[in-house]
Amino acid sequence: MTSLEAILTELRRAARRALGARYAAHALVGAVAWVAAVLTLARLVPFERRLEVAALGIPVALAIAAAIWAIRRPSAGLLMAVADIRLGLKERLSTAWERRAESGPLDDAQRRDALQQAAHARLPAAFPIRVSRGEATLVAILAIFALALALLPNPMDQVLAQRQADRVSQARAAKAVVDAKKKIADSEKPSPKDAQIQKILQDAQAKIREADSPRKALESITPAEQQVQKLTDPGTPALQSSAQNLANALSGTSAGRSAAQAISSSPAKGAQSVRDLASQLQSLSPKDREELARALAKASQQAQNSQMRDSLSKASSSLQNGDAASAAQALDDVASQLDSLQEQESTDQAVAAAINGLEAARQELAAQADRDANGQGGQANAGASPSAGASGSGTGNGNGNGNGTSNGNGNGNGNGNGNGNGNGNGTGGTGSNGSGTGSGTGATSTERVYVPGQPVPGQSENDPTPLGPGQDVPLSPYTQVIEAYQQAAVDATDQSLIPGSERDLVREYFSQLGEQRATR
Amino acid sequence: MIAEEPRVDASRVTELAQSLETELARLIVGQKALLRDTVIALTAGGHVLLEGVPGLGKTVLVRSLGQALSMSFARIQFTPDLMPADIVGTNIIGEDDGRREFHYQAGPIFANLVLADEINRATPKTQSALLEAMQERTVTVGTQTRPLPSPFFVLATQNPIELEGTYPLPEAQLDRFFFKILVPFPPEGDLLEIARRTTGESTPQLRSVADAGAILAAQRTAREVPIAEHVLRYAARLVSATHPDRTELDSVRRYVRWGASPRGLQTLVLGGKVRALLEGRYNVAFDDLNAIAQPALRHRIFLQFEAEADGITADRIISEILEHTAKEPADH
Repeated sequence: MTSLEAILTELRRAARRALGARYAAHALVGAVAWVAAVLTLARLVPFERRLEVAALGIPVALAIAAAIWAIRRPSAGLLMAVADIRLGLKERLSTAWERRAESGPLDDAQRRDALQQAAHARLPAAFPIRVSRGEATLVAILAIFALALALLPNPMDQVLAQRQADRVSQARAAKAVVDAKKKIADSEKPSPKDAQIQKILQDAQAKIREADSPRKALESITPAEQQVQKLTDPGTPALQSSAQNLANALSGTSAGRSAAQAISSSPAKGAQSVRDLASQLQSLSPKDREELARALAKASQQAQNSQMRDSLSKASSSLQNGDAASAAQALDDVASQLDSLQEQESTDQAVAAAINGLEAARQELAAQADRDANGQGGQANAGASPSAGASGSGTGNGNGNGNGTSNGNGNGNGNGNGNGNGNGNGTGGTGSNGSGTGSGTGATSTERVYVPGQPVPGQSENDPTPLGPGQDVPLSPYTQVIEAYQQAAVDATDQSLIPGSERDLVREYFSQLGEQRATR
Repeated sequence: MIAEEPRVDASRVTELAQSLETELARLIVGQKALLRDTVIALTAGGHVLLEGVPGLGKTVLVRSLGQALSMSFARIQFTPDLMPADIVGTNIIGEDDGRREFHYQAGPIFANLVLADEINRATPKTQSALLEAMQERTVTVGTQTRPLPSPFFVLATQNPIELEGTYPLPEAQLDRFFFKILVPFPPEGDLLEIARRTTGESTPQLRSVADAGAILAAQRTAREVPIAEHVLRYAARLVSATHPDRTELDSVRRYVRWGASPRGLQTLVLGGKVRALLEGRYNVAFDDLNAIAQPALRHRIFLQFEAEADGITADRIISEILEHTAKEPADH
């Protein structure tokens, strides 16, 4: 060994190596402890991306250890002192280094002695690279613990899966609302209230997306439906009835037959045809005028809309009095009312489309909320369609119904028609005029209502349908048949020429039943 | 103009001390620690208090030291009726050319090596006369102060038993002894050897290995031995740890009444330097301090009565302090 500086260089190199190993061990302990802590925490609270967060601790711990290792520079005196102790040099090196600039009587001899003794020592041995047994044990224990935590089933996984399913469900529900908006926007007969409807749907969509859970999201649907419902004109059914009566009355006249057909086709066409008829009154024969006046009078008597009734009455009386101009004017009023009817029907269609979208969203959310309540929320998947009542028919058409919720907030229940695959796994489609208004109380009754029926698809043969008290016919839970009943009723009302208010009455009835079912 | 100091040859000090130890060992059987500590105190210029039961060779040791060092030797047997003048000397009337006048008659203390045998049997007044001379290295009689010969080395002995009629040395006077060395009873093998050497026809005669000048040179050289800062701090920590209000050791807080004085630190460092030279080293090591900590500190630590009741000795306290005082730099 040539000099104290050379000794110091060698000691410093050895110390850097030893410190590096020691800090690496510390970092390993820290990293494994971090991983174990994160995985432990993930068992106590739902923790998404826990593996990423746990893994992040490893490079962070190593980086911190590396930074400290790079910053920390043991002093020369310290290195010498430690080497003295560990190599048994009896403080020769540290004394020599400390007095390297001194020239006392014994300093030279002391330095020579120190260098001589250091030459016989293996300097790197002063800073051995060694792993603390305690640290190694700690790492092993923590690693085993962390591995066990990672491999054993985590009860929070179900919660996380449920959250994911909730998000998917809410996204689907929001998409259903978006589809409804698109449908309204693409409508061939735009309504003056389309903008308001779009706004309501937009708000509902945002609330559904932002809700904490499907159950919360459900709470935003009923208010939206009520807002949309308010946009409908309650006089529309009366006006429709009056228009239909007019068409029926005119169909028996030679002059008004084409107008009758046009009215039956659509109010807008009917309005144009009535205007044409008004312009042709002068050229009609007296007989035709007489015939037309009677038809208008009859329609006037049957009209439920007062304006329509007045206009028809005036047109009829004017024709009978030979005042063609006044009659034409009255028919023009009738045409205006038909135009108004056309607008109201367009609005109703937009409202219906909006409600269908909201109902689809409700079904989606309600199904997910039910799964959450049953502890199966994490099992939702792409096929989470309303399939409770899906049953394949002979033609391959199935009906699907969603479930209401039991949140006690009065949620309605929508219906939809869809195309099944013949195996009874039909996917709920979009109902034509499905609507629902909530009035449920959220009671938690466990009562089950039974109605006579056959075992439903999916019901096990080994699970005999329970009989009601005093009944000798198989009974099915009404929740399993109500969808079919509801669908049949809605289809019947849609296909029948009955007033809209009656159709709403039917829908409301089933909605209330749905609410009760949901609360159970 | 100041004359340049001759170059220090530390190796000669080592050789001197080793040859002195060797020579003493010819007569003193075993007791290597006793010999080593005595040589250290001599080389450091300090005085030694030997404590041991009678017959363990304390007096032989001092006498042998006198033979081996070619220095003047005096023995004072301390008794209750011993007076200070019996030690330091006195003025007496004498005739010189028919005239009577006072002449100073030097006491036995005017020697290089003084054996104060059974020092605790003399009265405190007499003890003080000796201890003052030990500290000041001068003697004042009447109006005249006279220097003692140099080197001046006192070995005092005391018997730990038969304490009746004795005057234990006060703490302040104990502190003036460089070392307090306990003379243990020799093991059986050494007893046999003692019997063989001392009951034969002749006893070994020691040769002189050094004179006063060599000892003085060795004392000067010893003070030049360097000590590193962290070793010095360790010595200070050892001394601080003997104080009940400055230590973290429960035993010290419980059993120690007073800790070592700064003179204890001086003793540790100086004794450490001499020991380093005796070990053939030119710097003080932790081991040097540890090796001399017992003789350097045991008479400077004053215990509570509770310690005596529990059988706790100063040596045990010092051992515990040595065991718990950190040597390695704390920040590594």
